Amino acid sequence: MLSSYLTPETTLFSDAVDGWRDAINRVSAPLLASGSITPDYVTAMTDSIAAGGTYIDLGYGIALAHSRPENGVLKTGLSSLRVSTPVLLNDDPAHPIDLFFCLAATDPTGHLQTMMELANLLSNDELRTRLLAATNAADVSTVINENGTTE
Amino acid sequence: MKFLAVCSTGLGSSFMIHMNIDKVLKELGVKGVDVDHSDLGSVARGDADAFFVGRDLEEATDTLDNVVVLNSIIDLNELRTKVRAELEAKGVAIPEGNAA
Repeated sequence: MLSSYLTPETTLFSDAVDGWRDAINRVSAPLLASGSITPDYVTAMTDSIAAGGTYIDLGYGIALAHSRPENGVLKTGLSSLRVSTPVLLNDDPAHPIDLFFCLAATDPTGHLQTMMELANLLSNDELRTRLLAATNAADVSTVINENGTTE
Repeated sequence: MKFLAVCSTGLGSSFMIHMNIDKVLKELGVKGVDVDHSDLGSVARGDADAFFVGRDLEEATDTLDNVVVLNSIIDLNELRTKVRAELEAKGVAIPEGNAA
């Protein structure tokens, strides 16, 4: 369930983010703290983006930072970071990001339900707009819970 | 008929594209299309009738044919249009009433 991963502890907001590397460090911090990932995972995500991996930009200013399970995932987890000023992914003007997600998946299919819910949420015009407008974890939680009731 | 969503890791954006293709096919009432997702390193020309990728992987898919490039992974309207175009190009019938 999306709501069991995106909690007040993993749903972050910041108006003082210093570039995309800082954003990746910040969004992955709750997963590091909970033992979901190792520092290697953060390095793997950062290296991948620095190597041109801007494909994590899903569109609409939303990025899904992630790497492979073998790069340091200990248990499945998900976190988010809303930045108040868009951050350029890999300093690329073509990829301004407002909302970062960090996904840690232990295997390619173990996160099926979570990914289905996340894809549904982000692909729904109304819910996505409200998610981007959310200014605190409670707002995000409300949107996620409504997502659970839509197909 | 097989549609394959592809990304670098095979578990992020390709997974989302896969699920959104499923959703679009269901909306259109089209059955008999096999949908899956994979990572770039595992796919080869001929593995699918159409490969769906995000815009940043367009160059990396030069070795594949029938590549459908998506500007956004989460834009259902774009995906709907492009899935329909692929179905029509491949001669897959879309049931009456779902053509809008």
